[in-house]
Amino acid sequence: MDDLNVKNPPTLKQFVPTPPRPPRQSKSGIFGTIRQRCFNSIGNSVLTLCVIAVLFYLVKHVLDWAVFNAVFIADNRRQCMDISPDGACWAGVISWFNGLIYGRFPVDEQWRVNVGVLLGLVWLLPLMSKRIPLRNVILLSWIGLYPFVGAYLFLGGRFGAELGWVHGVMTCLALAFLTIIYANWILSVWDKKGLNELFVPLVSRFVERRIHLLSFVAAWLLIALVMAFALNQVSLEPVAIERWGGLFLTFIIASFAITMAIPIGVVLALGRRSKLPVIHWLSMTVIELVRSVPLITVLFMAVTLLPIFLPADVEFNKLAQVLVAVCIFAGAYMAENIRGGLQAIPKGQYEAAATLGLGYLHTMALIILPQALRMMIPNIMTSFISLLKDTTLVSIIGLFDIMLMARNIANDKDWVGMHTEPLVMISVLFFLFCYSMSQYSLTLEKRLKVDR
Amino acid sequence: MMTSSGHLATKNTTNTAIKIDKLNKWYGDHHVLKDVSLDISEGEIMVVCGPSGSGKSTLIRSLNHLEDYQEGVVSVFGQPLSRDRQSHKIIHQTMGMVFQNFNLFPHLTVLQNCTLGLTWLRKMSERDADKMAMRLLDRVGIAQLATRYPGQLSGGQQQRVAISRSLAMEPKIMLFDEPTSALDPEMVKEVLDVMIDLAKTGMTMVCVTHEMQFAKQVADRVVFMADGEIIEVGPPEQVLVNPQWDRTKEFLQHVL
Ligand SMILES: Nc1ncnc2c1ncn2[C@@H]1O[C@H](COP(=O)(O)OP(=O)(O)OP(=O)(O)O)[C@@H](O)[C@H]1O
Ligand SMILES: [Mg+2]
Repeated sequence: MDDLNVKNPPTLKQFVPTPPRPPRQSKSGIFGTIRQRCFNSIGNSVLTLCVIAVLFYLVKHVLDWAVFNAVFIADNRRQCMDISPDGACWAGVISWFNGLIYGRFPVDEQWRVNVGVLLGLVWLLPLMSKRIPLRNVILLSWIGLYPFVGAYLFLGGRFGAELGWVHGVMTCLALAFLTIIYANWILSVWDKKGLNELFVPLVSRFVERRIHLLSFVAAWLLIALVMAFALNQVSLEPVAIERWGGLFLTFIIASFAITMAIPIGVVLALGRRSKLPVIHWLSMTVIELVRSVPLITVLFMAVTLLPIFLPADVEFNKLAQVLVAVCIFAGAYMAENIRGGLQAIPKGQYEAAATLGLGYLHTMALIILPQALRMMIPNIMTSFISLLKDTTLVSIIGLFDIMLMARNIANDKDWVGMHTEPLVMISVLFFLFCYSMSQYSLTLEKRLKVDR
Repeated sequence: MMTSSGHLATKNTTNTAIKIDKLNKWYGDHHVLKDVSLDISEGEIMVVCGPSGSGKSTLIRSLNHLEDYQEGVVSVFGQPLSRDRQSHKIIHQTMGMVFQNFNLFPHLTVLQNCTLGLTWLRKMSERDADKMAMRLLDRVGIAQLATRYPGQLSGGQQQRVAISRSLAMEPKIMLFDEPTSALDPEMVKEVLDVMIDLAKTGMTMVCVTHEMQFAKQVADRVVFMADGEIIEVGPPEQVLVNPQWDRTKEFLQHVL
């Protein structure tokens, strides 16, 4: 090694690197670029013109139908036809709009759906901010606590009566948690200490260890108590689950499936790789069985077969059955995605974890799964998107989701036979959701790629 | 001879760090370790060399149970290891390992790579773990890179992080499996310097390496392996300068 460091003898020529120079800028501007790309040869020019002509023809017809010849204000389909026979009749969709979004949810109570969905989104908002510590905990709290708030709002009833005390308590805890998240966020903007820190002096008088955790719990319980008193004052009109519907129901099913898909998928995928034969075969059977059957069949089985297996006195509503079915379906597909990710992790990662002394759970949770999931983001997002679309199938077993509501429009005596417009509207809605999901997955990928 | 509690037999009962007794391993019918026996004392620097496929990796990986072996006994500080929980605990408390291709965790920063074991296994507070990891990173000369991700480092820097990561768990024995073979020549030296420093601290080290300069400089003994057998063991001046066997001589002519 020492002989590597020999000084250069003075007779050698000295190497001076050539100074770097910037790359050539294209000066031609946007028209130049278009000319270069699209009209650089005769064949290409002809092709470009043809494409433009076809596009123009298509766009013109679509716009004519959807905008220029469309009817927005009418009382029924006949009127629409009279005003403009070859345009879209958006009046029908508009008059049924509420139904498409909320299903048969009572009109006076629809604000509760808005508030519930908004709360769910607001809960997730802090995940976008880098300021907030322990974002995983917020995500977990959303999965574990938000459903209680949502159900409380959507189902209604007096506090602790219709839904039981446990549900009431969980709702209070959930609302208190949300309050703390936001209070701490706002306080952190002003560089103040979090709400839970207020209790540190008090708590440290009684205990020595885990002061921060306990003061957090103290703050949480106190706020939950306040929430309980507040909720006790109001009583919401009960709404039966059968009245849930429209896009709202689609959202509930899809978000349930999406949040449960990863945990179920992870368990199934790890089970499939397990060395214990029972677990291995069980996971494999579930995965292969569910994957080789169409979702409709799984849904029908859930609705018809599940009650047979359950004891007779357990009343299971249709939505719960559907949720179970969709979750298992989503989980089985996700398991295969995750298995693909797991296989791509080199053996060296397991060995490095083992030599550090990490056990199975630590290795999986800290080393392997974070990498595997990250690697599979595109596939996972694709699954999520198809899940969102697949949930429209539940209309077949009689849940009033957005598809069934759309078909109801065609059965309405005022809008008999109106099929196209609602479907177009649903397509546009779904396109917006799915497209933003795939865009989000792209940004997520880009953000995480910085790490490597 | 020893206490059976979780703690290791101490130096006064034996100063043998690792005792390998008649180790045999087969891959199917392929006999890759043949009656390998070797004693490594505490604080000893042992360099293992030999041609490709001679079983060096298999041997060193058998020591911390990354590989199974069919016959023989490995004892660490007097305690024979088996496949039970207790043995695993002993292995993780006493041995660290550095791999040829680093095996850093790519989704964690350099600092997180080093503190992972401390916070999750030792239950150390984050602040203490950070402090300890920074001290180790400073020792290998890359404290300024603590917030980077492994993918943003050169090979030599990655290997130094890997060494710090192992050292964070405070092992008594360090195993190195060709730590410099995946590196460009310019980076070999920075890793070897770290290893030389480590050797001076009295760490017990078992290094599979082809860096004969390193062997001559710091090794207490050199083991030469071929075809799954230990052919020669001895101080570097003896094995590397005056080998007793033709096989060793042939090999040395290729590497030196
Ligand atoms: N997983 C395996 N399955 C079957 N044979 C294996 C396996 N791993 C190693 N071997 C064989 O065991 C023998 C010893 O391999 P080992 O990796 O220990 O050699 P080595 O001395 O480390 O070589 P190198 O210097 O190339 O790393 C080789 O002949 C190899 O072909
Ligand atoms: Mg090897």
